[in-house]
Amino acid sequence: MPAVTPLEAEYRDWLVTRLSGYLRRPENDINVCIPFSEYGMDSVAALSLFGDIEDAFGLYLEPTVAWDYPTIEALARFLVRAGSDGAL
Amino acid sequence: MLSRLNDTPCSGDPAEGPHGAGTTHGQAGATPDHGGVGLDAGERQIRERVAAFEELLGDPHEAGNPFGNAALLEADERGELSVEAERALAAFRLNDEFVPRELGGNLDRIDGLARVLRPLFRRDASLGLGYGVTSFLAAIAVWAAGDEAQRGRTADLLRGGGRLAIAYHELAHGNDFVRNEFSARPDGSGGYLLDGRKDVINNAGRAEGLVLFCLTAPPGQRGPRSHSVLLVDTAGLPEDAWRVTDRYRTVGVRGCQVAGFSFERCRVPADALVGRQGGGVETALRSFQITRSVVPGMVLGGADTALRTVVRFATSRELYRRSVLDIPHAQATVASAFTDLLVCDSICLAATRAVHLLPEQTSVYAAAVKYLVPKLLQDACYNLSIVLGANFYVRDGDYGVFQKHVRDLPMVSLGHAGSAACQATIIPQLPRLARRSWTQGTPAPEALFRTGGGLPALDTDRLVLAAEDDALVASLLAAADRLEGPREAGAELAPVRALVRALVAELTRVREECLALGPHDRTAMASPHAYALADRYTLLLAGSACVNVWLAQRQDGGDFLADPRWVVAALTRVCRHLGLPLPEEADEHSEWMLAEVLGRYHEGRSFDLYDTHLAGPLVDDEPAAARH
Repeated sequence: MPAVTPLEAEYRDWLVTRLSGYLRRPENDINVCIPFSEYGMDSVAALSLFGDIEDAFGLYLEPTVAWDYPTIEALARFLVRAGSDGAL
Repeated sequence: MLSRLNDTPCSGDPAEGPHGAGTTHGQAGATPDHGGVGLDAGERQIRERVAAFEELLGDPHEAGNPFGNAALLEADERGELSVEAERALAAFRLNDEFVPRELGGNLDRIDGLARVLRPLFRRDASLGLGYGVTSFLAAIAVWAAGDEAQRGRTADLLRGGGRLAIAYHELAHGNDFVRNEFSARPDGSGGYLLDGRKDVINNAGRAEGLVLFCLTAPPGQRGPRSHSVLLVDTAGLPEDAWRVTDRYRTVGVRGCQVAGFSFERCRVPADALVGRQGGGVETALRSFQITRSVVPGMVLGGADTALRTVVRFATSRELYRRSVLDIPHAQATVASAFTDLLVCDSICLAATRAVHLLPEQTSVYAAAVKYLVPKLLQDACYNLSIVLGANFYVRDGDYGVFQKHVRDLPMVSLGHAGSAACQATIIPQLPRLARRSWTQGTPAPEALFRTGGGLPALDTDRLVLAAEDDALVASLLAAADRLEGPREAGAELAPVRALVRALVAELTRVREECLALGPHDRTAMASPHAYALADRYTLLLAGSACVNVWLAQRQDGGDFLADPRWVVAALTRVCRHLGLPLPEEADEHSEWMLAEVLGRYHEGRSFDLYDTHLAGPLVDDEPAAARH
């Protein structure tokens, strides 16, 4: 597994905080490898994540981004790429 | 993906159409043409089809009519759909309404689909769902995501009078359908093996085609990309690998043949897959944007008949040596029910036309209309039942249809999306819309609020899963600005102005509360407060639709709908439903609205925005109605 870059770590931390807010669970309870849906985040609620990402980081994404990258680990890695490619 | 339902360009403002006024059908003399100075071809077609359908359905009070009250009540008691009625619907080629025009059907406008089906729902929701709409709910996934061969097959099936059943939900998982366990595992040779049960499926035992929502990912990989939609031809299924389970008896729509399926290692070919593997949730959510928009506009027909039945009772029954309709409470209830029907039809109009005009925003509007309209209609029917008194409980005779419609309404409402599921679609989107759109959004084009007239072709590829803007809210603010400006400065408009101001003030409060919603309130576990906010939001959308329908009609110089009194009554109702303190200028205009109800009742015209001619003789004043 490649090392986590500082930017990727920043995305991960932000997503952990976000998910802990959604789920009302302590941050250290959130595993970055477990899919959002396993935490009880339904597919419709997961659609609202793209808007939060856009507001926080100015990245314009498809609403289904959290469906296609369904864990914090996968989504954080994708956001690094999305950021370096400009708009996706 | 081919998903345009027609290639007719937007014909825009109906008033600009090239066609003369002309009569639309044999009885056009009795059918007011709202603003219909010149109708485009599509609009004329819809009106002709509505009129022809009503004529087929005939006089509801005629004893031998298969679409008459007596026959429909008898079929309901037996728990059957009348064979004769179904045969007549097949001869009318009702299924053509569900098939896109380029595939040989009549479907190109979603508002038109609601209008054409409404006469049938005025008679009987069991026939409406059981004969036809169920097939449409299933087929829309094929129109939106299917390939050419699947679209052609489905069109041929429906146009030949066949049926499609839709099995998205499972009893144990309700609207949490991502948890569905019915599986379709790759069989190693390109096809799938079906395993599991689907319960409470309309037409399960008699549909030639099935649209199934199945888990296609391996166990343990369940998420929004783990399900797929399959289109299955029941004639091709191995007989020993599937069966139809026992019929369910239901409280309402008793004639519908509701049962289930059980599959065991049932092989289906590779070409059953609709769209791509794993695309099931997305296809379902896109399809819901159309079905949730259109069904409430059909169901409204049932409440029309409930109101008509109560008016019939109240004008013919004597109490205390007067007719029931002399009692002020009965007058107010009848007038309010009619007003609520107009409120409902206004939001139905906006939602169905939004599918064409604002496809990027319909995820919210479809859920809003599917949540709000059944709720308002059920409340109106409850109030009407009080006027009917003990006759509410009688299952046959003159007023027996009332209890049938009251039982049917919640069934067709829950049918494919419960209220909570609709609210759960709205709630996660509220904070973002509140922040981004509610102070600076772009208003909807005026065509959204016209009761007729051309629309851009439907393009299901443009339906997105989360709204980025909220034109209906922006249109409420635009209407407020217009009413405060010099263009609409007349003193007679002071009540509209005051009521719109009250709604804008409520919007500001709802916005603040939406901005303050915590992240936890985005999930299905949202607080009751978040659900209440969604409720208030849908009422604000309804208020926006009403005032903008009225403004559009003023432009066209229509009669009833251009009169400010109906919109004052409608906005007063909306403020009441919101629980707002009423501005001094608020007025339900009960007397005027009641006069309109009685006029339409006696002349046989519909209780909705379209004021269409109904079949049957004019209603004579009955003995007690000759009162005073």
